[in-house]
Amino acid sequence: DLGKQIFLEGSGDMPACAVCHMLSDAGSEGEIGPNLDKLMPDEARVRIAVHDGVGVMPAFGEALTEAQIDAVARYVASVAGQ
Amino acid sequence: MDKMTIPRRHFLVGAAGTVCTGAVVGSGAGSALAQDTALPDYVAWKEPGAFIQHSENTLETLRGEIGSVVTPNDLLFVRNNLPSLTEDDVGDPEAWTVSVEGVSDPREITLAELKGLDVAQVASVLQCSGNGRGFFEHETSGSQWLTGAAGNVIWTGVPVASLVEALGGVADGVQWMTGTGGESIPDGIDPLSVMVERSVPIAAHEQALLAWNLNGEPLPLAHGGPLRLVVPGYYGVNNVKHVKRLAFTEAETQAKIQQSGYRIRDVGVEGAPDQPSMFEMNVKSWVTQPLMDASSGRVLVMGVALGGTEELATVEVSTDSGATWSEARFTGPDLGPYAWRSFVIATDLEPGTYRIASRATTVGGASQPEDFPPNHRGYGHNGWSAHAVDVTVS
Repeated sequence: DLGKQIFLEGSGDMPACAVCHMLSDAGSEGEIGPNLDKLMPDEARVRIAVHDGVGVMPAFGEALTEAQIDAVARYVASVAGQ
Repeated sequence: MDKMTIPRRHFLVGAAGTVCTGAVVGSGAGSALAQDTALPDYVAWKEPGAFIQHSENTLETLRGEIGSVVTPNDLLFVRNNLPSLTEDDVGDPEAWTVSVEGVSDPREITLAELKGLDVAQVASVLQCSGNGRGFFEHETSGSQWLTGAAGNVIWTGVPVASLVEALGGVADGVQWMTGTGGESIPDGIDPLSVMVERSVPIAAHEQALLAWNLNGEPLPLAHGGPLRLVVPGYYGVNNVKHVKRLAFTEAETQAKIQQSGYRIRDVGVEGAPDQPSMFEMNVKSWVTQPLMDASSGRVLVMGVALGGTEELATVEVSTDSGATWSEARFTGPDLGPYAWRSFVIATDLEPGTYRIASRATTVGGASQPEDFPPNHRGYGHNGWSAHAVDVTVS
């Protein structure tokens, strides 16, 4: 799963999502950003957060391709809260 | 009025003042957590039922809960860019140190020492840059705040000007005052990418405090305790929580939150340092009562208004969607240029539907526009039309 891979490893200039976010499916325990299992964002919310940033979360619209952003958004939305 | 012309989000304003807030907006960009979700542990002391939870770190005060001159701590909104420090992180609050740099005698100074240096109280509005984001029509990243990412509070702390004087004054060439938060950043990411470090123009230090007390109580950790940089008149992000470093610098910080975050730009444009930063707040007001229904006859319309960094001159209220306006009366004390003022106007309303709006104007002549132009991240909305409420009188 490309989305899970990006979540766990990052890509290019983007660090792994797992560094900052908790998500049980990925086994990540980051505590900097919101706990995604509690937030349970839908695909659109993940996509715009990754693309544009949120608060201190940087924008990764330049670091990732649209296909990569779509993949990570699909992954997070499908497993968060499970 | 032709309801087809009403922006989609307009109808949701009243709902946000009540308990039916399971999803404040339908947009995937910012669906709120269910209203009945228990408050997170770090803010468990706050008033249950008074908030919309956008996420663990973002709690919006319901519109109808905000009418007072001073916002009590347990009703004050929460927006933490990084998780709040814990009591274990902080240890003895009196031993908390802040490193003061860019002065003649730079050094670390404890909270206990600061308390003995000087003291002042300032009333000021604390407001997130994105308060009102949910009123924009375009899709925006971040919490879809309506009116409740704001409160009016009284800070107690040491004036930064007194601290600077005690440490021999600032160095030549200083243009900025830079505050750094004490949150730790995990390995694996560039600290500059997520740290909370903000620079404000040096002139702002004249009204700034290092504050340890909020509305008469020790500053709660959730609001930046034990010590927070407070820059009255400036948006919330500039009021750095858990402040560990206060530096007087020639350049702005390189942190992303300063360089590309919190910048006003057109929709679709990336953030960049040459765009206006979210520093001084603009003039704004909103009605807090009534929000949905009222009984016919005498109806008191109440609300709050702020001038940003200027005193208010007037607040006007319209019950006909802005066709006609009448001047409201300020209630309660004037707590200075950085505070908000509550207002009231008595109206006489027949049964029917009314769009009730308020419009504030400062002594300098700045006034709320009817519409606020869209910007990419949805900052700074003060348009009176979007903040209006639709009230049914029966």
